[in-house]
Amino acid sequence: MTIPALRVRGLAKSFDKPVITGLDLEIAPGELYALLGPNGAGKTTTLRMVTGLTRPDRGSIEIYGIDAAADPLAAKAITAWLPDEPMLYDKLTPSEYLAFVAGLWRLDPGAAAAEAERLMHWLELWDVRDTRCEGFSRGMKQKVALAGALIHDPRLLILDEPLTGLDAAMARAVKDALRDQVEAGKTVIVTTHILDVAERMADRIGIIAGGKLLAEGTLAELRAQAGADDVTLEDAFIRLTRTETQAA
Amino acid sequence: MSVLGRLAPPGSFLWLTRHEMRVAARGLRKHSFTRYLGYALIALYVAGGCVAAAALQNVEIRPWPAALTGVLTAAIVMMSFMTTQAVLHSQRTLYESGDLDLLFSAPIPGEVILRAKLAAIAGTVMLSFAILVLPVALPVAALGHPGLFGIPLLLIALAMLAACLGLAITLVLARIAGPRAARTVGQIVAALLGGALFLFSQFSRDHHGGRVEAVFESLEHSGFGSAGLSGIPGQAAFGDPIALFILLGLALLAFWIAGLVLERLFLRGFQDGGVRLSRARASGRPVRRHFRRTLFGTVFAKEFTLLARDPALAFQMLLRLIYLAPLLLAFGHGAEGRILLPGLALASVAVAGQLVGSLAWLTVSAEDTPDLLTVAPVDKAAIGRAKLAAALAMAAPVVVLLPIGLTFRTPAGALFTLLMTAIAGSLAGLIELKLGKPGQRKQFRRNRSGSMVAGLLGMVVTLTFGGLAAAGVYFIG
Repeated sequence: MTIPALRVRGLAKSFDKPVITGLDLEIAPGELYALLGPNGAGKTTTLRMVTGLTRPDRGSIEIYGIDAAADPLAAKAITAWLPDEPMLYDKLTPSEYLAFVAGLWRLDPGAAAAEAERLMHWLELWDVRDTRCEGFSRGMKQKVALAGALIHDPRLLILDEPLTGLDAAMARAVKDALRDQVEAGKTVIVTTHILDVAERMADRIGIIAGGKLLAEGTLAELRAQAGADDVTLEDAFIRLTRTETQAA
Repeated sequence: MSVLGRLAPPGSFLWLTRHEMRVAARGLRKHSFTRYLGYALIALYVAGGCVAAAALQNVEIRPWPAALTGVLTAAIVMMSFMTTQAVLHSQRTLYESGDLDLLFSAPIPGEVILRAKLAAIAGTVMLSFAILVLPVALPVAALGHPGLFGIPLLLIALAMLAACLGLAITLVLARIAGPRAARTVGQIVAALLGGALFLFSQFSRDHHGGRVEAVFESLEHSGFGSAGLSGIPGQAAFGDPIALFILLGLALLAFWIAGLVLERLFLRGFQDGGVRLSRARASGRPVRRHFRRTLFGTVFAKEFTLLARDPALAFQMLLRLIYLAPLLLAFGHGAEGRILLPGLALASVAVAGQLVGSLAWLTVSAEDTPDLLTVAPVDKAAIGRAKLAAALAMAAPVVVLLPIGLTFRTPAGALFTLLMTAIAGSLAGLIELKLGKPGQRKQFRRNRSGSMVAGLLGMVVTLTFGGLAAAGVYFIG
């Protein structure tokens, strides 16, 4: 039996009010999974709990069979997190930033430097490798952060709105890169507001609303759950989440 | 349309100034214990001012020479600190406020925007001096000494002049140094401006045998502050209408000229502020040089780089260096020229505690991306140790100055002081590491946030080890 890349059981979190209420999720290795949901549905909170940034009130999280609560360092070692707001230091250059991230993941300096060079060439950051990030556009910052997420070759890559701020060409390049990661056997989880992206890229889509997983499956399965075979993901999403909103 | 609307129609100077004041006031509205404590202290101070006013009601207060000299001296001190603050506020206005995009894209003349910003800077730099002076000056003026209503007007004139001067210095520096170095150079100049007067006064005091009274008497006898143009601030403070007219006229003229002359420089400084701040071209050196073998090396290199690239920190470090120089005079020589080496030892520990505490706050509590460190598979304690080491390494060159100075008098005492300084500095860093509250790096130049327990412990450490160092030097030396 294959160990899931991510297994979440009974996850719950409340802040002022319940945000996640008993979420179950299982994502297979080598899958590109898109997590969708209306604003405030709890997508980012879920992913922050998976990455260890937010402590769940209850529930369990396993990353490639590693209990994230019992052995957080082992779980983190194979995971990368790319939030919608890039985690960057304005006063560091891309080269310095990548060296710092490589040091945090304790990579071999020689191999990490070579990988950093490859990533900077690929993400068109090579010419600005010695320029501090403070003057960069949002798209440029997003690219530096993406390089940081990829430098340690994570098995599970979690990205929150990864295409925000990227131009069309770079957005395409990132989408291709994510598919490449999946084809190389890695697992990718993305949240996105661009349903078209989820529709084209994802192997499976999960729709979260009201703190729990509302629907999950391939596009065809979601259409079936929405009660219509010939609708777009957008239509299916609206039908499914509207039902939830009305029920609430 | 309301009276206010007619007086300050949208897009006008007054309307924009009102907006600036409102934004500044909302920045102050934080409900915290220290803020309420501050209000309570101000209320007490006002009450004290009222008592003093009642006591002075029938006492004759007139512009005698010593008072005029005092007013001029105070005005020079205030002007110096106001200009320093104005340089810092101008930098924030140009590079950090974030609303200039909106303002410059609106159909409002640049001159109006500049004057509104100048008014906001003047208001901000005046605030602390107004809190210090007016609770006493206004009640005294109201109870039988109406001439003293000149004091708030003198403050306004000084603040306006300082704002114009501070902005002019900032813009000229930005033009000369370029956008990349403008912030750091600006902070350094502000530190020099703030410290120059202090340095001058200390050396002047030393020149007069360490007696402040002697300095003052010498100034008074030379007619400083009472004769000619130097008498204008004093006369204005005592309500002389001509002196007030001259001072306020001068301030308004400076304000008007600044609007005209600095508009283009201001726009250019703002536009340059958005450009790349570091080298635009790659150095050509290998990327490999940034990659370290150990976690300690990685974190240390990152923290040291960030500290070295922090303009606000350059300001703080330089200011401390400036204030250290007079310490050698103030503590090194007693009133009768006696050697007071224990004072120097105490100062060494105090400087170390303060400096390492500040730097440790920057490295430990003001982490820009705590999430990155949280998701990394590393021991947080190891990161903390590396951050603390970076703070200590950055502080070391400043912290060792006083012990080095001591070696000329008492080598053994200097060694003991160095030991106490090192322990106190390390403990100050550890306190920040264990009890520090997360904050934002940009808070550093204002008031870094921290827990009260950490503050108290820091004081205990300084007093304990400072006392030990002083006692050690006293007995050894």
